[in-house]
Parts: sequence; structure tokens; C-alpha cells
Amino acid sequence: MTTSHLGRLAMAAIIAAMILVPVIQTSEESLNLVSLILIWALFAIGFDLIFGMAGMLSFGHAALFGSGGYALTLLVTKAGVGFVPALGAAGMVGAVMAFGLSIFALRVSGLFFSLLTLALAQLVYILASTKLRSHTGGLDGIPGVPRPELFGIDFYDNRNYYYFLIVVFIVGIAVMALLRASPFGKALQAVQANDVRAAQIGYNVQRLRQCAFMISGFYAGVSGALLASLMFYISPQMLHWTTSGDVLIMTVLGGKGTLLGPILGVAVFEVLKEKLSQYTQHWYGILGLIFILCTIFLPNGIAGLFARKAAGRPGDAP
Amino acid sequence: MSTIVIGLSLSFLLFLLAAGLTLIFGMLGVINFAHGALYMLGAYVCFQIVNWTGSFWIGLLVAPLVVAALGGAMEIAALKPVYERDHIYQLLLTFGFILVIEEAVKIVWGLDYKQVPTPDLFSQPVALFGSQIPSYRLFIIGFGATVSLALFLLLERSRLGMVIRAASSDADMAQSLGIDVAKVRTAVFALGAGLAALGGVVAAPLVPIELGMGFSVIIDCFVVVIIGGLGNIRGAILAALLLGMARAAGFTYAPEWVELITFVLLIATLMTRPAGLFSRKGRAA
Repeated sequence: MTTSHLGRLAMAAIIAAMILVPVIQTSEESLNLVSLILIWALFAIGFDLIFGMAGMLSFGHAALFGSGGYALTLLVTKAGVGFVPALGAAGMVGAVMAFGLSIFALRVSGLFFSLLTLALAQLVYILASTKLRSHTGGLDGIPGVPRPELFGIDFYDNRNYYYFLIVVFIVGIAVMALLRASPFGKALQAVQANDVRAAQIGYNVQRLRQCAFMISGFYAGVSGALLASLMFYISPQMLHWTTSGDVLIMTVLGGKGTLLGPILGVAVFEVLKEKLSQYTQHWYGILGLIFILCTIFLPNGIAGLFARKAAGRPGDAP
Repeated sequence: MSTIVIGLSLSFLLFLLAAGLTLIFGMLGVINFAHGALYMLGAYVCFQIVNWTGSFWIGLLVAPLVVAALGGAMEIAALKPVYERDHIYQLLLTFGFILVIEEAVKIVWGLDYKQVPTPDLFSQPVALFGSQIPSYRLFIIGFGATVSLALFLLLERSRLGMVIRAASSDADMAQSLGIDVAKVRTAVFALGAGLAALGGVVAAPLVPIELGMGFSVIIDCFVVVIIGGLGNIRGAILAALLLGMARAAGFTYAPEWVELITFVLLIATLMTRPAGLFSRKGRAA
């Protein structure tokens, strides 16, 4: 039980550190950086529910992420819905999109699931940037994505918005921790370990996968909406396949299949991006190299390093 | 008539790419995400060679060899250590290749569009059944057919093909019969990479050479192998024909919707025959 103890301590430390950041750090850039980390971390823990827990590698998460962003933007600016209900609706849109993708993508398994989610997400990207131009603003995107309006607090101030993000993040991670420890989470792990056997025991494997994918879609939708709101802007770039790639890189770097890993990965990714891009415009290639090396030598990511130490035996790829 | 020629040339181009993809999958069990990036790299290397030598034909010969060598090196350096692991890790690695290749291309050639002129021999259109046909399209059809035939002969009739087929159906058994499976894997990955580059070179005079060209083609390519049934070369030919002709017809009759045709075909296939239109047995993945 030492590992989970360690994890709980680390989690408490991280959350405490996050709340303290705006107190200690005053510069707008570092505030922006930690805000980005919070949002992407929410996205990544949702992604890891299907990648790390259920063993499904989705290359289509950009579609879920982006449609959440568009849903919030359109609901608040065009339909006049309040920010918080719209945020919930963005999550629902992400889940519904995930349901739509899963109808097709879950007809195949294994690596084909990755190919299909990639292809279908590309379809969404094409639709949003061409056919639905009247709603989505095409490749130009939509500027002026709003921030929340609550209790008379000015969330257009980045510091206040950061606290809003922390609240959403803590709720998101708490729910995810419960989900992962729940029978549902264990069933997902069973499906990843051996789907045939899981089906024989009596689990409805397809239903479990679909549920996990939809929950993951909900997280993606909410985090996409939060990102659009942070940047005051949304464009099809959020739907582009590189977004799916980014969340994958983050999760693998940090360590898939753990709750803390993806968050660590996001932090490392964003900080690396921030630091490397000061020295070279080719940081993405360096990141690619790091990603390759990590895949070969560190299959369980950064979190895997700690887990190995805690367990006192050489960990291996599952 | 020109619709048919364009459709056929598109089909053969798609087939060159899908063949490389499906060959690698059949032998290594790896879906090479970087296939599109290798295609793009082939086009860029060809551009460079044309720039140096002025001859498209040298590019056609040399660029695939260069990329094949690079593919072999990638396989040895990165893929070899992870064969024993879950297939997802190999997919992740090839995804990492995309990032590195794209960045390398950006460093060497920059961001602006490059152009490779159509070789002189095929720069004039020819009259065929009463309509003007770009002769380079005809060249692609002839060349694609030749390469396909050569590939078929190599895999089905040559000793090397027999070794490849043996190693892909049962690696352990092939190994104990004295076949160096590791070498065969490297060779197959190099061959697949070379085919991708060949596709890129052939496409180079037709399209602007830019960083995004790999990704737009890889989706079509995945669709071809899904429709055809992955690991099934004959299925890939038929699926490439289907998709190529459908796209060419789309360009002529409904240019607004041509980007969506691919997906309609994909979804229709999945809903009716999820194992691929042309597969005879269950798919293993």
C-alpha cells in the first residue's frame, strides 16, 4: 500500500503547490503556463481512462476536445446559455461525439481502432473547417470566446480564472480517482488484460469500452471548452490530429495507466515546450526524439520510475 | 475518359503506398504511422535530386533507395527493441518518427512549397479516344502497374518472397529453419519505406510538395487498407481502384464533396463488412 500512500501524498503536494502558484508567482506567463497545464491535465486523465485503463489507443481525441470548445463558444455567444451550464453541455457534446465515433470505431479492435478514430476525427476536422463554416468560422475560427460570470467575480482576470480552473480540476480528478478504483475501473483493466476472458466472465466488453470512451469524451469536451475560454479563441486547430498526438505524447511521457502519470506528463510537456521554444523553433522535433526514447526505454513513463523505486523491483511493460 | 485516366493514376499511387503499409503490417505486425511522412520525405529528396542533377529519372531511382536505407536504420534503431511488447508501443514509435521526420524536413527545406517539374518526356498531353490526356498520368498508370507486378512476382514467385512469407506466417518456425528473421524484418521495413518514397516521387510533379502532404495521403491509405483488409495485397489493389475511381468521379461530378467520399466509403465498408470488403478470413489484429 506504500505506492498508493505515496501517490496520495504527491497528489496533496501537487494540489497545494497549484493553489500557491498565483501567490508566489506573479508573472502572467507562468500563470498562463500553469493554467494550460491544468486544462491539458484534465484532458490527459480523461484520455488515459481509455488508453491506460482500457488499452484503447484513440487518435481521435482532438475531435472530442475541439467539439467541446465549439459547443461552449456557440452556446454562450449564440444561444445565451450561462457559462457553467454550457461547460457541462460541452462535456455532454464530447460524450455524444465519442458515442458517435464509437459506433463505427468499436466495430474493429486493436490497432484498427486507432486508425478509425484518426480517420473519423479527420472527417470532423474537414467538416468544421469547410462545410460548417457558417457556424464555426472556418479556418479563421471564432474570436471572443467568453469566460465564466459567477458571483460577481471578474474571471477575465487570469488569476481568478486560474482558481476557477483549479476547482474544475479538483472535481475532475476526484471523480476520476473514484472511477478508477470503482468496479467499473477494475472491469476496464480486465478488458485491457484479456478481453476474451473478460467477456467469458460475463462482462459486456463492447458496452464497457463504449462507456469508458464516452466518459473520456466528457473530459475532453470540458477541457476543450476551458482551453477555448482561456485563450478567448477557438479554431479548427483544436480539432487537428496534432492535438490528439499531443495528448498522447503527454500521457506516454508521464506514464500511462496511472492517475498521476498523465498530469506529470502534461507538466513536463508544457514546461519543455516553454523552455525549448526559447532556444529553438524546432522544439517539436526534439520532443519527438524524447518521445521515441521514452517509448523504448521508459515504457511506463516518468511515473513508472517512481513506481519502480517504490515497489523495489524492476518494472516492465505490461 | 480523362476521369478514368485520372482515377486509375490515383489508384496506382494509392496502391504503391498501401502496398508498403500492408507489407510492413503483414510481416512485422506494425501499422506504420510514419508511412505518410516517408512519402513526403521521398518527394522532398526527389526535389533535391532534381535540383542537383536536373533529371527526374535519377530522382525516381535514387530517392526511394535513400528513404529505404533510412527506413532500415529506423527499424534497427527503434523498432527492434520493442517487438516483444504490446503492438501499441510500435504504433507509438512510428508516431514519434513522424514528429522527427517532419522537423528534419522543416530544418532542411523550410516551410515554403516546392515544385518538381513534370519530366520532359511526359510534359505534353496526348489525344486518347478523342480527349486530351496528360501523358504523365499515363506514365503513372504504366509505372504503377509495372511496380505492382514486380512486387507480386517478388512476393509470390521469388525465393526472397518465400522467405518473407514464411517469416511473416510463423517467425519462430522460420527462425529455427535458419532464416535470419531480424534481417528479413529490417529488409521488409526498408522495402515498405522505399515504396512509400516511390509514391512520393511519382506524385511529386503532380502536387505542391509541402509538410502536410503526408498526412492527407495517409488517411486515404489507411482507408484503402481497411477497405481491402490489412495484410491483404490483392484486397489493397481492389480497394485502391475503388477509392481512386470514386475520388476521380468526385472531382468531375461533385468537387464540393470529394473530401468526404473517402469517409463515406470507409463507413459504408465498416457497417457492412467490418473485416474489409475483400477479406476471406477473419482479421487478426
